[in-house]
Amino acid sequence: MKQINPIFSGIYWLTTLALLVIGVVMVFAYTPTEVTMGPVQKIFYLHMPIAICTFFSCMVVFIASVGYLWQRKAMWDHLAHAAAQVVVIYAAIVLLTGMIWGRAAWGAWWQWTPRLTFSLVLWLLYVVYLVIRPSIESSQRRAMICAVYGVVAFLDVPLVYLSVRLMPDIHPTSIELEPAMRNTLLFWFIPVTMLTVGLITASFRLAKRQAACNVIRELPMPKSKTPRPLGTPLSSGNRGVV
Amino acid sequence: MMLLLRQIILLTGKDLRIEARSRQTLGLVIVLGILIIVVLGLGLGPEQLTNGASATAALWVAYLFAGVLVFEKTMSVERHDGALASLLLAPIDRSVIYVAKLISNLILMLILALVITPVAVVLFGFDLSAAPWQFVMIMAMSILGFAAVGTLFAAVVSSTRLQGGLLAIVVLPLALPLVIASTQMMIQLFRDGKPIGGTGLTVLLAADVLYLVTSWLVFELILEP
Repeated sequence: MKQINPIFSGIYWLTTLALLVIGVVMVFAYTPTEVTMGPVQKIFYLHMPIAICTFFSCMVVFIASVGYLWQRKAMWDHLAHAAAQVVVIYAAIVLLTGMIWGRAAWGAWWQWTPRLTFSLVLWLLYVVYLVIRPSIESSQRRAMICAVYGVVAFLDVPLVYLSVRLMPDIHPTSIELEPAMRNTLLFWFIPVTMLTVGLITASFRLAKRQAACNVIRELPMPKSKTPRPLGTPLSSGNRGVV
Repeated sequence: MMLLLRQIILLTGKDLRIEARSRQTLGLVIVLGILIIVVLGLGLGPEQLTNGASATAALWVAYLFAGVLVFEKTMSVERHDGALASLLLAPIDRSVIYVAKLISNLILMLILALVITPVAVVLFGFDLSAAPWQFVMIMAMSILGFAAVGTLFAAVVSSTRLQGGLLAIVVLPLALPLVIASTQMMIQLFRDGKPIGGTGLTVLLAADVLYLVTSWLVFELILEP
């Protein structure tokens, strides 16, 4: 397995962390507080980049699933699994930040608005992807079922988006942003995108290592050629015979 | 073309003959559907029973759970005595097997709908007279999409240990666009008195085409004895 240079990896994560800290500082020190929503509006700088990166991760799941169906290489399955984990975490963050926004804007934690419903269904679609994986024992069968599901789930996303638009909407469709707010929002896309790529890569490498460990674990154990010393107890498997 | 049609009719006939002789699926799913309608009716209480949207929602719950059972049963018969292995050895294109299974499932779902829809209409006091044909059209389109994706995943899941439970978990979230679009259209049609069309019909049509085409393409790859 090709290793990523640990120094490069360390620099990447430190840069991401530093940019996130700068982003937080910009949110509280640089951007003005919105008049109607107050401080709760600051959630928006996290909410929107995470939502966009959720779709990016969904696309990675889709491409990897198509790759698996095409080439039947385990690598694609590991990549799809890694991206699906990120989708679930990110969709949960989008859902939670959306609910906090909704509580401040509409006075209720949950409203059946199109966008909240869309986030919920998206989260559910990919939670199911993760839930079904451990229940299938054969690794090839698991990869196949998950690849088919990954393709259909991604194609389902635009349908969910269109269908929820039939519901009555109270969500803001467009927001006028001041230059400071716009700059902060654009800045937040950098660390969040880096975080997404980093998380998918780290999870992918972990999945590859786990698969390699499973292969080693399934290899037959070599028989010991050294005779059992006198006086040592018999193994439990031999006791019944003796 | 005629050969393909003959193969589809033969395979569908085989599935329906097995069902007619064993009677193991339809009786079970019809009773399950009625039970779901009754339980939801009792749970919702008298205030909600005259609401058209409640009847549609109850019908959907019954269709979804009974449908999953139908898909699972029609595919599990192929697992007995190596029937699927024999079917795969036969000189038939695998997409023909998918189409035949889909038609069998659709016929069983149609019989199920013909029994439990009147039950829900009566128990929920749902007045269909305003737009009966639109109701039938929306439900038929929704069931087609649901059966398309259900048939695919029944084949995928049938070789695993969990089967029924896993199939429900996989298929239900994928059916959500159909549920959302059809229930919203029913609300527009029966509560607000607006004609159907636009986005709702587009979603149902797009879902049907998408699920049918994807399932037809992927089925060939996933079928294993």
